[in-house]
Amino acid sequence: MAATFFGEVVKVRSRAVTEEEEEEEEEPWARDNLEDKEVRQELEKKREVEVLQTQTKVSLEIPLLEQYPCSKFIIAIGHNAVAFLSSFVMNSGTWEEIGCTKLWNEWCRTRDTANLSPTDAFCVFYRLKSDPTIFLCQCSCYVAEDQQYQWLEKVFGSSPNRNLQITILTSRHVTDYKTPESSCNLPSPFLKALKTQTFQDAACCTLLEQPNIVHDLPAAVLSYCQVWRIPAILYLCYTDVMKLDLVTVEAFKPILGSESLKGLVKNVSHGTEILKKLVTRNEIQSNIYT
Amino acid sequence: MAARYDRAITVFSPDGHLFQVEYAQEAVKKGSTAVGIRGTDIVVLGVEKKSVAKLQDERTVRKICALDDHVCMAFAGLTADARIVINRARVECQSHKLTVEDPVTVEYITRFIATLKQKYTQSNGRRPFGISALIVGFDDDGIPRLYQTDPSGTYHAWKANAIGRSAKTVREFLEKNYTEGTIATDSEAIKLAIRALLEVVQSGGKNIELAIIRRNQPLKMFSAKEIESQVVDIEREKEEAEKKKSKKTI
Repeated sequence: MAATFFGEVVKVRSRAVTEEEEEEEEEPWARDNLEDKEVRQELEKKREVEVLQTQTKVSLEIPLLEQYPCSKFIIAIGHNAVAFLSSFVMNSGTWEEIGCTKLWNEWCRTRDTANLSPTDAFCVFYRLKSDPTIFLCQCSCYVAEDQQYQWLEKVFGSSPNRNLQITILTSRHVTDYKTPESSCNLPSPFLKALKTQTFQDAACCTLLEQPNIVHDLPAAVLSYCQVWRIPAILYLCYTDVMKLDLVTVEAFKPILGSESLKGLVKNVSHGTEILKKLVTRNEIQSNIYT
Repeated sequence: MAARYDRAITVFSPDGHLFQVEYAQEAVKKGSTAVGIRGTDIVVLGVEKKSVAKLQDERTVRKICALDDHVCMAFAGLTADARIVINRARVECQSHKLTVEDPVTVEYITRFIATLKQKYTQSNGRRPFGISALIVGFDDDGIPRLYQTDPSGTYHAWKANAIGRSAKTVREFLEKNYTEGTIATDSEAIKLAIRALLEVVQSGGKNIELAIIRRNQPLKMFSAKEIESQVVDIEREKEEAEKKKSKKTI
């Protein structure tokens, strides 16, 4: 028991751990009642991540990369990275959609969480028809912290194959980039790379310096690859325009010459044309800035 | 650290930053590029036209505005803030003319706009204007002027400058290419402005708007055809220069 400044006596939890922990009697309002449990369970179910197979429209029982053998996996996270892959990689070959993730969190725009259609699920998986071991993931939804582990489990599984190479593309606002220089002097957008220990090839740009860190799903995937000793590289584009922007997407172009995208890109000028159309089509007609 | 010092405009951070002013400068970068060039007998303002929605009337989206017969400005940043600043500047131009019986000098109206912007960086409950402006014109003495203002309320005279998205790229281009030779004639100055914009504008001349003021003449807005013909000339000159270069190497 302890007294506060205001004279009330409050019960203080002791940090001492004894062998015989006494069952402390909780206040009635602190006890978890049935309703709370139900709400919590419902919320957990709502936030579950599932991978739906495109062909069968059924949720995959086993992880995606255990279902399909994979040698190369390219993941684009965020609008700009997704637009880059759509314009330059997906238009250079025939890709078939094999699945998508169904997930809901507070950032989702969809209201009907019970029946998310595949068009609402913004995380889609593709496989190259001419080489079915090459996979691509276009992820433009936000995967919350508590869902990232589930996403990894459902996609990679708990004992992944190490003979695969992973490339992650994403973007981040330049104000998150820690540097002694003023942000006005930074040549944004610019590319930085971070790779796992087992990744042997050279990066197309300079490595991300300390004390900068990677966040969200790209960080989760990279950490997973580091733990499981899978060669992986993350290309992070720091930009001052977070929405879909031509200049930012073009900043990813140095990656076109890398080992990761070798053989996957055929016609760069055609890709540039497609990108321009994509950007014009998706330009939010906001008149806030002129 | 920024989190504690960026809420109120009137609060300095321990290392002397006014974060709201710096954030306002970020808002400027969200606007499309504008470039201003001071020639010998001409001032040029070029802007990247924002693509307009299908059902939107193009006339209502204007980045270049006349403040008076002999002064005009281009801005980059928050559209609504620009409207307020432009209206206040226009009223001030007429008020000055009525009171003093002389049109404003370019420096006077720039100082007015800059003072207005500075007031908003020092008032509680208000936020800075999220625009930078390029103000051009001729004074009575016939000298061409180009000034730039920013959200902090500072203003400087420039020979050539750019604001908005990709302003850094355009400024670097201007630093390399602005010479006495390239601004010797009016047409060279116009070409320089268009070439600077072509560095950053997607899909060429279609997305460029241009305005010029010549000594003792009113503001002239270029039509799309005129801009297109300038772009064609520039491209032809570029090809010829490249042919010459390849001949030299052979």
